[in-house]
Amino acid sequence: MELISLKGTSLKTKLAILKELGYGSDGDYVLRSSGEKVVDKYIDIPVRVDHMVILPGSEVILDDNELSISSYVEEYGNVL
Amino acid sequence: MITSLASRHMSKNMGMSSESPISDAAEGTAKAVLDWSSDKIHAFVEKLRNRKLAFICDEATIATVREEYNSGEAKFYETYIEDKDILFQVRMGLALRKLERDKKRLRDLRERIYKKYKIKGLHIAEFVQTGILHRYIGLLIGGMRSLEEFKKDIIEVLVNIEKHVLFVQEASKTADMVQKASNIIDANSPDIFVVSGIGDAAKIADESGKKLEIMQRDYKVERISGEDEVIFFFKRFVKF
Repeated sequence: MELISLKGTSLKTKLAILKELGYGSDGDYVLRSSGEKVVDKYIDIPVRVDHMVILPGSEVILDDNELSISSYVEEYGNVL
Repeated sequence: MITSLASRHMSKNMGMSSESPISDAAEGTAKAVLDWSSDKIHAFVEKLRNRKLAFICDEATIATVREEYNSGEAKFYETYIEDKDILFQVRMGLALRKLERDKKRLRDLRERIYKKYKIKGLHIAEFVQTGILHRYIGLLIGGMRSLEEFKKDIIEVLVNIEKHVLFVQEASKTADMVQKASNIIDANSPDIFVVSGIGDAAKIADESGKKLEIMQRDYKVERISGEDEVIFFFKRFVKF
């Protein structure tokens, strides 16, 4: 799997990626089309745009941390 | 392969050789970044939807996760620990160890483990982080009668970690720790009991372990000390 790091990428680029996926942002957090903050399903915190990862599998948007990404691996397999 | 958009841009500007496959790949994506039209983004998102691409943030996070799953130690635990939830907490211990030089990330992960798995989960992770599980398994192997029993013993210590390990905290008092350890030993008669202290707790663990050693005559004691940690292994022996 190809991994593209968003670290250091402009906010504009990140927002464009989110828009393509059908999400938005208030400038800080990732928002659903309904305006609700996207919550990291593994650690239950809102995902910040500058700290987000977007992983395959129903477009999983998570906070960039070891516990969340490991939990993703547990659920979706060791694809990284 | 992990590719960083920012580093690609830098590589391009630094004039890296086009003969390098890495810089070639880097330059290729740098161009894509520089003119990231909606078509380009659409293409990346399509790859994401086809499970051929992931957008990550810090490459170090991925490196740590990979080690949790792919290192020899991780594979060993995967073989002998069948409980998936416990195995995950063990993996978190490997991650903690990997982050030991990055105090902020270490603290953040500890907090997340605590929030999700409470103090028991954090203790399991610390048990692995500090290498105690290594040594503990070494002691188990020494008296191993069957593979099934070995697996059962590993799970037993992890599931009931508070009955087998005393984690000394920096605010702990030596007398209290000795009393607590004695109570645990008296109540559970573990074959192996561990007293562990890290950082500021190392000195208290050292004092506690030495006092406990005098009191616990049925155990052989092994003391291991590192840069900022002290661990006592009390292994029960029976005279016939």
